[in-house]
Amino acid sequence: MRIDPSRGLRAPLAVAAIGLALWPSVFSSAYDLRLFTLAGVYVLLVLGYQFIFGHVGALSLTQGAFFGLGAYASAILAVRGGWSFSETFVLSIAIAVALAALIAIPVLGLESHYFALATLGIAQVLLLVCREWAPLTGGVNGISGVPGIVLFGRAVPGGSPSLILVWSLVVIGAAVAWRIQRGLYGLAFHVVRSAPAAAGTIGLDSGRMRLAAFLLSAAYAGAAGALFVRVNGIVSPDVLEFPVMVTCLAMTVIGGATRVAGAFAGAFLLVYLPEWFRPLDKYYLIAYGAGLLVMIVAAPDGLLGAAARLRQRLMPETDVAPEPERLPRPEVPVTAPLIFRDVVKSFGGVKALQGVSFEVRRGEIVGLIGPNGSGKTTLINIATGLETCDGGAVLYGNQVLTGRAPFAIARLGIARTFQNICLAGELSALDNVAVARSLDPGVDIETARAQAMHLLETLGAANFAMSQVRALPHGVQRRIELARALAVQPQFVLLDEPAAGLSEREQADLAGQIKTLRTRGLAVLLIEHNMPFLAGLADRLICLHEGRVIGQGSPDEVRRNPRVIAAYLGEPQRVPA
Amino acid sequence: MLQVLANGLALAAAYALVALGFVLVANAANAVNFAQGDLVMAGGFVAVALSRLWPVPGIVLLPAVLAVMAVLGLALSAIAYFPLRGRPATAIFVSTIAVGLMLENGANAIFGAEPQAGPPLLPGAAIALGPVSLSRQSIAVIVTAAVLILALEFLFARLRFGWRLRATAQDREMAASIGIDVTWMIAFSFALGAALGGAAGLLLANSFFVTPTDGINYMLKAYIAVVIGGWGSIRGAVAGALLIALFEVVYPSLPLLVPALPVSWLFTETTATIILYGVVLAVLLLRPRGLFGEAVLRRA
Repeated sequence: MRIDPSRGLRAPLAVAAIGLALWPSVFSSAYDLRLFTLAGVYVLLVLGYQFIFGHVGALSLTQGAFFGLGAYASAILAVRGGWSFSETFVLSIAIAVALAALIAIPVLGLESHYFALATLGIAQVLLLVCREWAPLTGGVNGISGVPGIVLFGRAVPGGSPSLILVWSLVVIGAAVAWRIQRGLYGLAFHVVRSAPAAAGTIGLDSGRMRLAAFLLSAAYAGAAGALFVRVNGIVSPDVLEFPVMVTCLAMTVIGGATRVAGAFAGAFLLVYLPEWFRPLDKYYLIAYGAGLLVMIVAAPDGLLGAAARLRQRLMPETDVAPEPERLPRPEVPVTAPLIFRDVVKSFGGVKALQGVSFEVRRGEIVGLIGPNGSGKTTLINIATGLETCDGGAVLYGNQVLTGRAPFAIARLGIARTFQNICLAGELSALDNVAVARSLDPGVDIETARAQAMHLLETLGAANFAMSQVRALPHGVQRRIELARALAVQPQFVLLDEPAAGLSEREQADLAGQIKTLRTRGLAVLLIEHNMPFLAGLADRLICLHEGRVIGQGSPDEVRRNPRVIAAYLGEPQRVPA
Repeated sequence: MLQVLANGLALAAAYALVALGFVLVANAANAVNFAQGDLVMAGGFVAVALSRLWPVPGIVLLPAVLAVMAVLGLALSAIAYFPLRGRPATAIFVSTIAVGLMLENGANAIFGAEPQAGPPLLPGAAIALGPVSLSRQSIAVIVTAAVLILALEFLFARLRFGWRLRATAQDREMAASIGIDVTWMIAFSFALGAALGGAAGLLLANSFFVTPTDGINYMLKAYIAVVIGGWGSIRGAVAGALLIALFEVVYPSLPLLVPALPVSWLFTETTATIILYGVVLAVLLLRPRGLFGEAVLRRA
């Protein structure tokens, strides 16, 4: 059975439909109409903020500034230049996106705490400029007399017509956001956010995704600002102040940071609560801070997330696993070898690798052994771009891999698993694998899931496909990681201790699966300590000790090698039998 | 000139306390306390409230302000940090922003939105120093902040308790494994951070007044001082605070000091702030570890 693609859309559509149908007729005073229109503006602002805060997981504090910039751009162009609504609307979006693109260069790569500061600093600069540059912005008084919306040469009066226009745009914005967030992009964002190390190794360009999300959030904020100023007729530096940003943040956190319906819930609550609690007056704002705090502590995925969990609890609904579907093209056999040439790496004063050279060729299973701390994982990290080496190089045929980003290396057909399993714990096993199919441009989410199902089936993990990964046993998680690596359709698979923690039966299964990969022409490099496991599996072993290759050859040769035995003496339980 | 310098130093001393409080929490809890600026504001209002009840010089109120703020810091850690341990860093950003919001609106509900003046540290007006007169307040602020900073230095360098705090800041797991009660150390860091912020609030409340919306400005200054000084570095935070405060005070007075320069929008406090943010962005981009190189306390 295919998963019903409209499922995620129902809730927001229902909210929008009910809202549009009922509210204007129930609340018919001009003030109520304006409030409802304003709620729509905030929905747009929050929908945008969900991209950067919810999906990327970065605390941007410029969303309010993009909103204010959009508002000011529209106001200035309309009042001083006499531009029409459609022109200023587009320009507000363009200006916000342009500013986002400009600041993305220095800011987007920063670590979380620097990112928050840098974005806040930019917002503050914008506020100061707006206050001081009076000839353009009207200084602290702002700009008043912004004409209302005129569309196709006809004025759209305030009240219901404006409301309908704004809400039509909200519905379009929500549909676009929903289209982007469901499907493989949504999954990819999830991986970038919750398993960043793995994202690159399945070919996801996190940097580009962050940039796209940041620009999108700015575009929505610019649009919201443009509408805000047309509905309000006036703009002042208040729109650029921190409280607007905090309101947007609170709406997003309270509604739910990654759900389209959450934007509606959050915006409505925070627009209407002060109306309902008007008698509380200024104490309301304290309660609002407290509400934000309670939400972030008790329901980090917001009201909508909490509701979804409650529903799941009361009416458990297990998703039906899709029918498996083979991956389209058979893997191209490996033609070029993976070459490690004099790889050197140190951490501080510790020399992790001191000139390691070897090759892995097509249809070969190579075991990489060595005592703990001998540099095995570092070597794989360098080959997959997670770390850079200080000297030497890793080549794929005649292409130099060192210096390339992890996603670029993965796209060349080099996949890996992790010693410390790196999966997106909240996603299902199926989705963890399906997301690695997103490199194939012709694959939509249903196909990706069907193909992921096929991979899980071949690895004997089909029964766990629909379970949340976090809850699964270690051995199953390792198989899911392997399935994910294979979903990239790699030519090289680098496995970091794939048999660790597996039972003997599981180990035998795994060995069988790895041999199948070899028959299909893939090359496998695996780090292992378990000699019996390796002995029947690997064509060649390479032993690392203190960052050097101290022996290589067939498993028999290596385990008789006196230097290898000496290296292992410190760890007698692992002396090759 | 001397007065400008004294004002700059007084501001720097207060900023240094704010930044120290910020960096102590950042190190011990590995968390950014967005409420630090609001704690400064809260300290200012505590001083205002105390001085209404008991009109004595600010210096007498200092211990009381420190105590009240330390309790507030403990409360902050209990509601906004400990429930969120192990969650993504953004969760603590949001929770401390929420607490800041509560503090700001709480102050607004109690004291109103108008600026209030805190008590002067010492009674009396200016000190005559040869031909120039220096404000007594500036000198007292500098001395008080210096004493607090030295006391902190003493705590970290000489006292066993300070060593435990430092060990916690350097490596929580290691500290826990040698029997340090890490939870209590983190809670104490929050208390200390809040007390230092509150002390800065008291020091600033007389000359700069205190308004409920002041928080964000102080938070940003502390943040910037820490970034310039190198994330995690205590001495760096003090040096960063010194640099930004002197710049803020001296830059707008440049046309007064150098008559060749025109008096224009180029030399306003706003321009100074914009330049400051520009410099911070440049520092983040070019020297992400701060102007003074590696932070003293690097995390593994």
